[in-house]
Amino acid sequence: MSTLKTRHESRTSPPSGPPARERRTRGKVTGRTSWSVGLLALPAVGFFLVFNYLPMAGLVVAFKEFDVNLGIFGSPWNGLANFAYFLESGDAARILFNTLFLNVLFLGATLAAGILLAIMLNEIRGTFFKRASQSVVFFPYFVSPVVISIILQVLLAGASGGGGAVNDAMAGFGLPTVDWYTEPGPWPWILTVVKVWQLGGYLSVIFLAAITGIPEEVYEAGMIDGASRAQMAWRITLPLLKPTGAVLLVLGVGRIFYGDFGTIYAIIGDNGTLFENTDVIDTYVFRALRQLGDFGTTAAIGLFQSVVGFILVVIAVLIQRKYSKETSIL
Amino acid sequence: MSGRKLEPFTVFSIIGVGLAVLCCAIPFWMIISGSFTSESELATTGYSLFPDFDFTAYEMIFTGPAVLDAYLASVFITVVGSALSLAVTSGLSWVIARRVPGISRPLTVFSYLPMLFSGGLVPLYLLVTQYLHLQNSYFSVILPLLVMPFLVFVQVSAFRQLPESIFESAKIDGAGELRMFFTIALPLSKPILAVVGLFYAVHYWNDWFMALLFIDDVHKFPLPLVLQNLISNISFTQMLPQLAETATPVYQLRLALTTVAIGPILLAYPFAQRYFVKGITLGATKG
Repeated sequence: MSTLKTRHESRTSPPSGPPARERRTRGKVTGRTSWSVGLLALPAVGFFLVFNYLPMAGLVVAFKEFDVNLGIFGSPWNGLANFAYFLESGDAARILFNTLFLNVLFLGATLAAGILLAIMLNEIRGTFFKRASQSVVFFPYFVSPVVISIILQVLLAGASGGGGAVNDAMAGFGLPTVDWYTEPGPWPWILTVVKVWQLGGYLSVIFLAAITGIPEEVYEAGMIDGASRAQMAWRITLPLLKPTGAVLLVLGVGRIFYGDFGTIYAIIGDNGTLFENTDVIDTYVFRALRQLGDFGTTAAIGLFQSVVGFILVVIAVLIQRKYSKETSIL
Repeated sequence: MSGRKLEPFTVFSIIGVGLAVLCCAIPFWMIISGSFTSESELATTGYSLFPDFDFTAYEMIFTGPAVLDAYLASVFITVVGSALSLAVTSGLSWVIARRVPGISRPLTVFSYLPMLFSGGLVPLYLLVTQYLHLQNSYFSVILPLLVMPFLVFVQVSAFRQLPESIFESAKIDGAGELRMFFTIALPLSKPILAVVGLFYAVHYWNDWFMALLFIDDVHKFPLPLVLQNLISNISFTQMLPQLAETATPVYQLRLALTTVAIGPILLAYPFAQRYFVKGITLGATKG
């Protein structure tokens, strides 16, 4: 415990002190040696160039009528036709709404769950129970979306497609059973529960680390003033978790246009009856690409997604910088 | 701290955490238990809380080559992928961590920019299939996932925690930058290498999106893709050996394969868990 605390103290020390000295000594790396140290980064640079920067150039496909035989750069231009096609298809409004709506739900719910779980875990002091429960709630993070999909099937429909644990439990309480996989209505909420289940424990680890960074004296002062544990959680811990929450929120907002393809596609797959409420940009793009082979339109949607996503990140970072200088992330 | 009596909020917390634990554990138990439950039983209930020790599905899985091949594919992707990723990430992180003038800063921007702006699915798909011709190669799964910027964060902050004085004395003794990296920095960073390597391993083991995109050959499917195929009714079961008199226990098979897929993670988890916590803590608070 004490080693942990000293690490945190050094971490929260003002950035103007030791790092400046460090930078000066590290500045002594000379021209010749810096060239050789640069070699170590070459594989990574190659990776980024080929798999990240080259595809950015490939986005010109969005403005072309793509023909496999002519290749990306040989295909004829067709201006904004791909964008127009997408916007006129009637799907645009629906999948944009779904993407934003689902991601806002996911972000809010997972952050809230992570904070709540961290505060509750923090209440349990230094016991085996605390460590064991943290391990268990963290575990779903390491499970493939495909496995999550199968778990969900067992719960909602049973492995055989008839019944399911949730329906049995509902019948036990005298509630009518639901044929979940043909009913699009509840799916935004089901997916939110899945995301909370998947990420709640992971986020609680981050928040718990932030809680251990809070100086003990603050709580001692609270205790002297006669605050209850609940009041201390509400008035001390929660406000002091704000910077961490803000960073995670900004990262989340930056990803808000990306629909978590893995989890949603693994669960929904090609079940068309549920698309109404679950189809997001990523799943739409994937299906358009694999089933229709429509490269131009899908690239157009992808470009739109990247540009709007990028603008959102920049705005989010600027807002976050303005409000909390010391926790800026970029 | 020990003398204090339990406050209502503490009791509330213990109950809350207990419920969360149950919510996380029971679904896995239902999968494992179901995989040991006979097909006829599963056909009526769909799940099971108490296994009746029926091994039909496991017999099918372990007698035929199909699942074994998928397992080996996953192992190959995980082992080769993690090793490559770890090597490439370490090199990059070291150069960033050293704060070399004129190199480190641009390199940081260069590495983190793809987090903010990506070309998206279509250009990547065209690149891998039309230009690199990696379709149906396991490297089509490994290469696009080679460097995770979050883990670069983690490793850079870990490298920066190494005491600078060691490198200064090494330099006085005439060691070059490369030599410092291989003989001092890496051996001193074994714990963080474990953290980063484990994260990559889980990532590769679970990945199915890249496999879904680039691997069409059923015989080359890694484990998650086999599972996904079982869900979406494309019949992988045809590839399994038919046991004499019985029909294929599809439901039980699904659950057994799921168990087989999470098995390695479940077994390694108790030992690896503290590394994961360490990695996240480093990445989240220092990044």
